[in-house]
Amino acid sequence: MDLANLVAALDFSTLPQQLVNGILLGAIYALIALGYTRVYGVLRLINFAHGEVFMLGAYVSLFVSYAMGFGPGSTRDSTWINLVIMLLSSMLVCGIVGVLIELFAYRPMRSQARIASLITAIGVSLLLQYGGALILPNSPPPSINERVNPIQGTLEMSLVGPDAGLLKQADEAKIAFTQAEDRYKAQSALDPKAEQASTKGLRDEKNAADRTYNNLQRRLDNSGVRLRVPWGQVIILGTTIVLMLMLTYLVLYTSVGRAMRAVSHDFDSASLMGVNVNRIVTFTFLIGSMLAGAGAMMNATFIGTPLTTFYGLQPGVKAFVAAVLGGIGNIPGAVLGGLLMGVAETTVVWLGYSSYRDAIAFIILIVVLLFRPGGLMGSNKVEKV
Amino acid sequence: MSAVSSPAGTALLKLDQATIRFGGLIAVNKVSFELKKGDLFGLIGPNGAGKTTCFNIITGVYKPTSGQILLNGRSIGGTPSNKIARLGIARTFQNIRLFKSLSVLENVVTAGFLRHKTGLFSALGYLPPAIHETEQLKREAMRLLDVLNLADVADVRSSDLPYGKQRRLEIARAMATQPQLLLLDEPAAGMNPYEKIELMEMVRKIRDEHDMTVLVIEHDMRFVMNLCEHIVVLDHGEEISSGNPDHVRSDPKVIAAYLGEE
Amino acid sequence: MRYWLIRLGSIALAIGGCLLLDMLVTGQVPGVNKVDDFGQRLVVLAGLYVTLAVSLNLINGITGQFSIGHAAFYQVGAYTTGFLAVTYFDRSGLPGPVWVIGMMLISAVAASIAGLVVGLPSLRLRGDYLAIVTLGFGEIIRILVQNSDKIGGSYGMTVRPKFQYIWLVWLLAITCIAVCRNLLKTAHGLPFLAVREDEIASSAMGVNVTRVKVTAFVLGSAFAGAAGALLAHFEAFISPSMFTMDVSFIILTMVVLGGTGSITGSAIAAVLLFYLPEKLRDMAPVSGAGLVAGVIGVLAAVAGIKWLISNYHGSRLNRGIFVVCSIVAGVVIQIVFSMVLRNVPALAATQFEAAKLRMVIFAATLIILMLVRPQGVFAHHEFSWSWVQRLLGRRAPTKEVAA
Repeated sequence: MDLANLVAALDFSTLPQQLVNGILLGAIYALIALGYTRVYGVLRLINFAHGEVFMLGAYVSLFVSYAMGFGPGSTRDSTWINLVIMLLSSMLVCGIVGVLIELFAYRPMRSQARIASLITAIGVSLLLQYGGALILPNSPPPSINERVNPIQGTLEMSLVGPDAGLLKQADEAKIAFTQAEDRYKAQSALDPKAEQASTKGLRDEKNAADRTYNNLQRRLDNSGVRLRVPWGQVIILGTTIVLMLMLTYLVLYTSVGRAMRAVSHDFDSASLMGVNVNRIVTFTFLIGSMLAGAGAMMNATFIGTPLTTFYGLQPGVKAFVAAVLGGIGNIPGAVLGGLLMGVAETTVVWLGYSSYRDAIAFIILIVVLLFRPGGLMGSNKVEKV
Repeated sequence: MSAVSSPAGTALLKLDQATIRFGGLIAVNKVSFELKKGDLFGLIGPNGAGKTTCFNIITGVYKPTSGQILLNGRSIGGTPSNKIARLGIARTFQNIRLFKSLSVLENVVTAGFLRHKTGLFSALGYLPPAIHETEQLKREAMRLLDVLNLADVADVRSSDLPYGKQRRLEIARAMATQPQLLLLDEPAAGMNPYEKIELMEMVRKIRDEHDMTVLVIEHDMRFVMNLCEHIVVLDHGEEISSGNPDHVRSDPKVIAAYLGEE
Repeated sequence: MRYWLIRLGSIALAIGGCLLLDMLVTGQVPGVNKVDDFGQRLVVLAGLYVTLAVSLNLINGITGQFSIGHAAFYQVGAYTTGFLAVTYFDRSGLPGPVWVIGMMLISAVAASIAGLVVGLPSLRLRGDYLAIVTLGFGEIIRILVQNSDKIGGSYGMTVRPKFQYIWLVWLLAITCIAVCRNLLKTAHGLPFLAVREDEIASSAMGVNVTRVKVTAFVLGSAFAGAAGALLAHFEAFISPSMFTMDVSFIILTMVVLGGTGSITGSAIAAVLLFYLPEKLRDMAPVSGAGLVAGVIGVLAAVAGIKWLISNYHGSRLNRGIFVVCSIVAGVVIQIVFSMVLRNVPALAATQFEAAKLRMVIFAATLIILMLVRPQGVFAHHEFSWSWVQRLLGRRAPTKEVAA
């Protein structure tokens, strides 16, 4: 397999579409990654249960949609208010669950070695996966009725217009075809039975013109570059951006945010300086889990993957990779990492190696960490001697 | 005892215009001094003068931006720390860095291990050479603990030691590498006056009986003035004075640096 | 002379013990019934997990390099053997044990090369960054295998012939334990511990930190590779799904639960943690009432023990008695609640199968053990007679060190 063949096999007109898909996927990763990054920032703990919080958020959205009458097979019409209710309830429940996990599983471990909290985190994650499977419906995997989404259409955009020469040729071919068709119709109407040969000749002519026209039309379609994005995914992107801006505002310009930064800079000093560390940690888990809940609701509603209790596993791992890639503890880093991860994944699919889409995240991560051991935007602190 | 004895006339350690900068900050600026074999040498200066950074350059934690560091006439600037330890320079740390969960004896044996001769496989198979070597290293370590009055706590976890003993253990550990040059970074910090006097005698004994050259960083003026025969004073990364304690004590530049200029 | 007698004697004892175990399990000892296939499999897998946990302990516990992708080395070993056995065994004409031992060596080399590749980034990365790279490396290897049709891809590959040498499995486990123990008994082990404690200070004391870290990775992964070789021949079938992240996590859990750095702890935790979910398979279905009552009982007992640990500072014996008391109290509470809750129709009617419950119980055990004893069951202790004596309250004679 040489490079030339590889390149020839690629369809460059679909690349922009794939990049957009990547950014949409990355937005979800970024939302989850923000939760990882905030928690790591204050506690230096990899919260392995974060993916499971995401999973619970998806289930909450499912149950709320059932409660609002959008059970399987329902054909009711929805309004955007339903979506907002789902989003808020998912965020709320996830926030509470996150706080409870911190309170009962992580807080008692805080004075212990970090690896002990890590094992607890793995335990909580397994408990939610398998314990959830006892109670939550998971076989067959349910999915949210897409009727709950009132905005069904697709946003279409033409990035590059069709080729002018082709357009002219196609118009000419269309005229030629209409003429041939008219001639054939006129001939066959004139004498339906007689002179088989001449009718047949005209018919062949008409068919040939038809083929030429269709051919040109197809080439014309492919010559432009167009984007199709379902409106639902546009909503995902919009909501994600709004949530990230809110988080940034919170962290940079409020007193709670200042306390959060102080705790993540130096846990012990912050507590000596009168910051209520426990409250800040609780708040961090609340915010991080709420973001995961928002991501879960949007992912489950607009992308519509069936739910199982392992729903959070893959996105969780990838978001964590995204957080490390961007420099764990760093907010813009998490967003950058998430987007990069999403784009890398769709690019690999576009290249035709879809079976490696789960590996690419780690390959990028390893390569980046070899050159920048602190992640893309993280600082590699040198230990003071 | 020392691996390479210094030829007559050459300095054991020589800093020649040693400079290091971190971004815009010049932490050590063109510092030059020489230690002869058997010296008891002091390095003093106010906080942030670049003393510890000097140690870090000498021991290979940082690579000097420019200038040279010569050990027995051989340039060692930028050599990795572990190789410098093998070349015969050992140090203690200002912010005690013992191997916390290891016992006092194990801390010292770890440092003595750089002279090991048996291979890893001998250890993995628990073969006689490795066993004998381990015993040998333990005996040597015990002798050092005797010198520093730590023999009675040999089996105690090093993090359980009181502060003063931790400082002494740092010295024992550094000595276990059998260096030609011993760098002590604020060895008396946090000690009471009685312990300081004890320490001073210990350092003298180390120099006289163990054939080591000693370079000390210390804040306590009385300690340095009484202990050292030659002193270099740094301020803001630059050398402002050097000479014997009496000379340094009366140097107006030194007084200005410590008391602030009027 | 005495040294060699003891050494050779203990080696003979180890081999003899393993052979005896093999004969007992396969019913070759008269008067002892053969253990069924499932039971044999458990004995073998337990041995492999001991090897895996103890070898990860070398990297993680002793050298302090946070590696959470140990299944990768296990997989490299298994697939190396799988591929070679299918391709060359028939032509080699070697007897079974010789072939398998040869495969263990080759797989160990292959896995240690992989260990070298992972160990190299560890020179620049620390803590969690290293952890995520080792995790990623494991996933990359698994996905690569999944996409290689030559070795069966995601469907897995059948390994022929099937060799079920139970004695060899346990001999490997014992060798692994012995090697780690030997390392720590000589001065050669100290640089490994020193790197865990403080890299900068180790380096200043002449320890070649790079070499120590890479050695730990190479040694640890070699044992995992050898274990993989035995797995491939024992199961006669390997697939990428046998080497997922979960497997790495379970091995890591064994190390931490046993007490990070303790060889004894890793080995014992490996056996217990492996048997717990397997034992739970045979459990009878549990009603909703029983489940809720169980959860309440366990929570009560844990709360009691937690409270004791932080608030009671009496003698060790009294503490032990109180811990037992809180466990008994937990059981009593559980019984009372299950009697009360049996009258709630909704709870009494629902049934939970053992198959679904076992992982839940596994996870809960993990969390509870960590909450109650975060330093691991053995903490940093090793099994030795003097330690047992100290534990029983008698003063052991302190080691004499020649001055």
